[in-house]
Amino acid sequence: MTPLLTINSIHSFYGKIEALKGIDLHVQEGEIVALLGSNGAGKSTTLKTISGIVRPTSGDVLLHGKSLVGWAPHQIVEAGIIHVPEGRRIFAGLTVRENLELGGFTLRKEKAAIGEGIEQAFALFPRLKERSEQMGGTLSGGEQQMLAICRGLMARPKLLMLDEPSMGLAPIIVVEIMNIIREINRQGTTILLIEQNAKAALKLAHRGYVMETGHIVMENKADVLRTDDSIVKAYLGA
Amino acid sequence: MDILVQTLADGLVIGAFYSLIALGYTMVFGIIKLLNFAHGDLYMLGAFVGYTLLSVLGKDSSGAGLMGILIVLLLAMVIVGVIGMGIERVAYRPLLLAPRLSILITAIGVSLFLENGSMIIWGAQYQVYPLQFSHDGISLLGAKITYVQIGLVLISALLMLSLHLFINRSLYGKAMRAIALDQTACHLMGIHVHKVIGLTFFIGASLAAGAGTMAGAYYGTVNFMMGFIIGLKAFTAAVLGGLVAFRARCWAGCCSG
Ligand SMILES: Nc1ncnc2c1ncn2[C@@H]1O[C@H](COP(=O)(O)OP(=O)(O)O)[C@@H](O)[C@H]1O
Ligand SMILES: [Mg+2]
Repeated sequence: MTPLLTINSIHSFYGKIEALKGIDLHVQEGEIVALLGSNGAGKSTTLKTISGIVRPTSGDVLLHGKSLVGWAPHQIVEAGIIHVPEGRRIFAGLTVRENLELGGFTLRKEKAAIGEGIEQAFALFPRLKERSEQMGGTLSGGEQQMLAICRGLMARPKLLMLDEPSMGLAPIIVVEIMNIIREINRQGTTILLIEQNAKAALKLAHRGYVMETGHIVMENKADVLRTDDSIVKAYLGA
Repeated sequence: MDILVQTLADGLVIGAFYSLIALGYTMVFGIIKLLNFAHGDLYMLGAFVGYTLLSVLGKDSSGAGLMGILIVLLLAMVIVGVIGMGIERVAYRPLLLAPRLSILITAIGVSLFLENGSMIIWGAQYQVYPLQFSHDGISLLGAKITYVQIGLVLISALLMLSLHLFINRSLYGKAMRAIALDQTACHLMGIHVHKVIGLTFFIGASLAAGAGTMAGAYYGTVNFMMGFIIGLKAFTAAVLGGLVAFRARCWAGCCSG
């Protein structure tokens, strides 16, 4: 079966710094795939390259076997890939509702779809409904992360890419976010998840990749990665 | 008392023009952090395009009626709006990622280009607007307020209100505010950022052009340098009103009038 997402020997640069030195990975439809690795390994750059924020110098990104390299970011969103970036980056000066509406920008021709999406988001996180007319910036860190995820779901992505959704959150909130990610996946969205918190991510994921300084150094089933002590110690620092 | 009221009334008309100009100026600043020095020249261009359109309508265009004048106003706004979009496309977009200074210098270049281009097309001397407004009006506390003044302020207020609703209620208006906050996040939402920036230039330019056409008709003469001073004043109104708050901008515009 053609994977939903395939990445073939991607090289990406920031100026002269080579952040990705030939990355290969794939994500099958319906999977949760974890992308792990220490700080600076190139995880975020991988997502940025997929979403078109960073242009690779060589290699290919394929969605259902169709190349996306060179597409503008908004076209990649229209094709069905959403990237919820590191640090959440919700619009602090817009209301929760406006944040969600903008998440549905690609559905703007179907007014009803935006309303439906907002209702689904509120069903997923009732706390967002209570705060719907509040400015995004007044939300707590956990609520902002929930908003960022919901804003991403508004576009009805085939593939949802989450960059460190647990960053800076209290353990109890992390559990809540992880449960929601599992639920989103159950409802049919494929997920590519970046995490520093390897343990939490591997509990959730079907497969995992481990990155180190611009390379992928390991790929395996999540339970294999999780139970192999030497791997956990060497790469996942947990 | 009558002098005070008269000054207020006259100031309100001019202030309405300034507000329209300052609004576009701050919209552009908000979205790409560019002090668009060419903005005042779009006002001048609006005045000249209106002048040419009215001349085409014929010397006795005061007979064209209110409808004709409104159509000329709209046409001038659309034409200059498209020019504003073109300026963004050709002059600014290639420099969006360059250092701020280079885009600022480009804006000065665009300003000079528009001024000299207009001088070549329409001449260096003052042109008399082919439209004479009637001086009929009402008396209020000893001051004379013409119907034309009332009409101009109403049109300006209507434009400002439409813009206010557009920015606050429409998805594209929300996208404009979002781009001002975080452009990368907007890319990731699937927002066609360049298109929205283009739209912002269109609106900003057409508001300036609307002010230009109205001012041309109100003062009766137009000149290729008329945008220069007004650009500076719009800058002042924009700074007074803060570069963010919308309502404040309208009031600041009226005060500087
Ligand atoms: N905007 C940038 N400019 C220059 N270098 C960058 C930039 N972003 C990341 N890098 C560098 O690229 C490498 C990979 O970064 P990143 O993909 O953010 O890592 P991770 O997400 O795994 O922590 C790091 O060495 C980092 O310093
Ligand atoms: Mg990162």
